[in-house]
Amino acid sequence: MAKGRHWVALWLVAFLVTTWLVYARQTAAIRAARELADLRARRANLDGHRADLERRIRAAESRAVLVPRAQARLGLHLPSDSEIVLVPAPSGSR
Amino acid sequence: MARPAVRIQVVQFGVLVGLALLVGRAAQVQILHGRRWAEEAQAQRTERIVLQARRGALYDRHGTPLAVTQETYHVGIAPNELRDPAADGALISRRLGLTVRTWQQALRRRYAYFAGPYSALEVQPLRSVRGVHLESVLNRFYPDPAVARATIGRLGDEGLGASGLERTLDSLLAGRSGAAVVLKDRAGREYESPARVIAPPVPGLDVVLTLDAELQEIAQRALDDALRRMDADGGDVVMLDPGTGEVLALASRQRDGSARPSAFTDTFEPGSLAKIFAAAALLSLRRVSPTDHVSGEGGKWRVLGRTITDEDPQPSLTLADAIRVSSNIAIAKFAARLTPLEQYATLRDFGFGAFTGIEFPAEATGRLRPPSEWTRPSAASLAMGYELSVTPIQVAMAYGALANDGLLLQPTLIREIRGAGGGVRYRHRPEPVRRVVSRDVAVALRNLLRGVVERGTGIEAALTNFPVAAKTGTARRVVNGRYAAGEYTASFAALFPADQPQLVLVVKIDNPHKGSYFAAQTAAPVTRSMLEQALAARTVALDRARLSTAAPRAAAAPADDEGGLVPYVVPWPYQPDSAGVGPRRAVPDVAGLGMREAVRTLHRRGFRVALRGWGVAEHTWPAAGDSAAAGSMVTLFADPHAADRVGSRGAAPPRRGPRR
Repeated sequence: MAKGRHWVALWLVAFLVTTWLVYARQTAAIRAARELADLRARRANLDGHRADLERRIRAAESRAVLVPRAQARLGLHLPSDSEIVLVPAPSGSR
Repeated sequence: MARPAVRIQVVQFGVLVGLALLVGRAAQVQILHGRRWAEEAQAQRTERIVLQARRGALYDRHGTPLAVTQETYHVGIAPNELRDPAADGALISRRLGLTVRTWQQALRRRYAYFAGPYSALEVQPLRSVRGVHLESVLNRFYPDPAVARATIGRLGDEGLGASGLERTLDSLLAGRSGAAVVLKDRAGREYESPARVIAPPVPGLDVVLTLDAELQEIAQRALDDALRRMDADGGDVVMLDPGTGEVLALASRQRDGSARPSAFTDTFEPGSLAKIFAAAALLSLRRVSPTDHVSGEGGKWRVLGRTITDEDPQPSLTLADAIRVSSNIAIAKFAARLTPLEQYATLRDFGFGAFTGIEFPAEATGRLRPPSEWTRPSAASLAMGYELSVTPIQVAMAYGALANDGLLLQPTLIREIRGAGGGVRYRHRPEPVRRVVSRDVAVALRNLLRGVVERGTGIEAALTNFPVAAKTGTARRVVNGRYAAGEYTASFAALFPADQPQLVLVVKIDNPHKGSYFAAQTAAPVTRSMLEQALAARTVALDRARLSTAAPRAAAAPADDEGGLVPYVVPWPYQPDSAGVGPRRAVPDVAGLGMREAVRTLHRRGFRVALRGWGVAEHTWPAAGDSAAAGSMVTLFADPHAADRVGSRGAAPPRRGPRR
């Protein structure tokens, strides 16, 4: 009779351990999924931030913005070709 | 009252029947209908979702992104889940740009949905708000929407390419969607568990275009300024590399501000731009010598019942004079030495009346009628550029053939196609269509065009230090099949520099209202302005090493020397024989080096360098290990924190394009 109770207890422990393992695994998976989602969100946010900065840099670098400012603030002008001197590279420079 | 034994038997029988029914029903559910119920349960618990593939990016020739794919969001709000409707509502309204009224309406609904799409930056503060549900979607993003808009095109509602290169390249850019299975609860909400991926999405290929973003901006701004100044109906600018057929810039603009791709689709009569092609036939077939003169007829000549006039009457003209001052009378007289078939074949050989074959979804062929459909004045009209309609891209390619020593190439907008990992899948090589004229005739024709800029109608396009070869064209406009009174198309085609040209420019101004309508005063100055800006720009695809050396001026080849159309075998794959492209060599790995050292390393390998960013060299475009022509431009991307990522100097950097 006592032997039978031991078996019942053993099965009960085995059941509890298995259940706990399933629960722990599920919990870890859900936590990992959350972290993954958070990381994806962060990456998307950073991508968006970078794209926004690139767009603003492109706009700031564009001739439509730079040329009038260079003319107004620095007194520069677009050079005519006679003001452009292309210096030939010395033959041994490469 | 039955005996207890009987009652027990009745109960036992009842239990047995019940059990039998239960087992039977279980067998029916599990065995007979098991599959159907299993599928239904599966459908209730799981959902198959489509994983969007990232659409490939489009870059300019230096790696500047022109079209990229970015994650954006649709936003769903469940008002009953909000913890603090007032505070959350204020935040949500601010981030999504909602009016008070819209938000109040949303609160009255069970579930409010805002399609947006909203950027990651806009929705970032909403991620932690309970009751806000974000649905990510990939969206196309154009960093500078104004650049080459008509050429690049746009996506339609379905996310497929609807116009321009987005449409032509759709099968390459789109990639292949994947699929995954997610778990749902009984209310249909997704569980927070990772999706089971059935088929991963395959991202689309990245395409490097031949366009040069800086040249494109120069062309667009110059065209916009010109149209505004001249109060014109519209215009086009085409710039291309004659040695490769690569289109460097394409700008089109109409009076209403729209930018449909008229450089491909709209035809016009080229007028005097076509005179050089009559000259090409005359020189190739040796129907004229440099000393041949024709009378200028005092500027007015009546022939075949029609009066031909010259703006700048000359007493006597050679072929060179006819091109230089753009004499209608002289070119009509010279062209009379050609048979209709010869004249037609030459124009056809230069690509008129046929598709150029460029990778664009819409292209007009223009009109070039066969001699059987000509009338008596057709030969003279065609020599003067009438009875012929062309597109700006056709004109650019035909002049490109003159620049390319007589070899007509197929134009292209695609320079490279790269896989998601950065590996090159396709690289453009010049594709010859046919030899149109011999090299000597091409040199002679370029000299004729040079005379136009030095002493003729194109003098407004002349540069002080660099020789330019060009031709003006002013033609009456055809409106609804008739020549419209007082309406003209001013056009200008230029080769820069005149010797070993690196750039072909075609400028077309439709119906200028203010000031002169002649191309000499309208399109020619626009060309000079663009050339000056291109020379002053840092990254424009000009080979300054070749420009800086005093290029020997091409000797004026006698017109009757070795002319004639002869069979010519083109080596395949084609390598231009004008020494335009240096030997190819591997791009060195400079990742992790300081800027100065990286630039020196690239210079030592014979490359020119365009810088993007500052700090430590991160990667190059073309990537380290790729081969590129000596003297070509390598874009060096730098980042102050690149050293941390690149790690030790010995580690090979990943093959990839510029930062997106």
